[in-house]
Amino acid sequence: TAGNKIFHLGPCRVSMSTAEIRSGFTAIKANIQARDPIRTLSILSHPHSLHKVKSSDRCCITHHLFNFYVDKVFKHCKTEDSYVNRKISSIANSFLSVRRKLGQCHEQNKCMCGQESAEKFKQILANYEGLNVTSAAMKSLGELDILLDWME
Amino acid sequence: EDALLPAPQNISILSTNMKHFLTWSPVIVQGETVRYAVEFQGEYEREYANESWIPICECSLITATVCNITEDISATVAYNLRVRADVGTRRSEWGTLKGFFNRITTSLTPPLMKVIADGYHLLVELEDMGPAFQFCVVYWKKGQESRMQQKVVKEVSSVVHLDTMEAGSDYCVKAQTYVEAINRSSSFSQTQCVRAQGGRSMWL
Repeated sequence: TAGNKIFHLGPCRVSMSTAEIRSGFTAIKANIQARDPIRTLSILSHPHSLHKVKSSDRCCITHHLFNFYVDKVFKHCKTEDSYVNRKISSIANSFLSVRRKLGQCHEQNKCMCGQESAEKFKQILANYEGLNVTSAAMKSLGELDILLDWME
Repeated sequence: EDALLPAPQNISILSTNMKHFLTWSPVIVQGETVRYAVEFQGEYEREYANESWIPICECSLITATVCNITEDISATVAYNLRVRADVGTRRSEWGTLKGFFNRITTSLTPPLMKVIADGYHLLVELEDMGPAFQFCVVYWKKGQESRMQQKVVKEVSSVVHLDTMEAGSDYCVKAQTYVEAINRSSSFSQTQCVRAQGGRSMWL
């Protein structure tokens, strides 16, 4: 099906259509990654931000990351290519829809943030702020499959 | 100065089974060909991207008064849509859809299906309605309506095997679609019944 999955992020259960997000991203991945000249750096994986996250922290980090993409990344990814812009809009609106569900978990105290998730997200922000905003946004967008793979 | 073109009117959405079309009334200018352009705005654009609009290039400078917006309505959020008319250098104001459109309101029709008695095997063929669709197939031995069984079909590939039938017995089947992205189901299809081998297979 369209790949709607129920994600169990600790006590938080979120239904997400990752297939729609992934198909939108796959359609523009090469174009976006070609705009990212800095190959030696990663926003999400340096030094090993998303690796070995305790399950109790998964919801909080996921919530932080969806906020990060919605609040910081997508708005700086406008291109001259109308097709790319449409796909970015599709991904951004899907993220908005998922973020709302994660927000509900947060309000119901099912998305608790521990020390580790705070540290990991701080590292991701440091990676992001170490670059100029457009490069950082494009690199983050180009790493969307890292996020989706980690979530799945 | 050229008279301003009237903006397109009667802008509406036709949405069935997660296929979404924007339609509007034609702008009439005697002796001229009127062309149209369509743009959309998702909730993200409204709240985080300065209420920006995104053109749909497949519906740019078209003469038709319908645009397939399915590809761009790809999240379960509220979308705005607008249409503008052009004749030569003359351009109308935007005509905007009254209210938002959210794909959660799409109308879901029961699936087309074909029930087959292949000897003692009860099979069903389901219409491929696209990746967003799952199917819930309910089947029972005629006369035993209290013992209905159900099978969820997530991917429509070919024929689906439902059950092994008792010789000469009648079996009935009905199906509905389910779209997980909007968490909604269609109503059930008409019931179709067939008879197992040991009696001539016929539509009842």
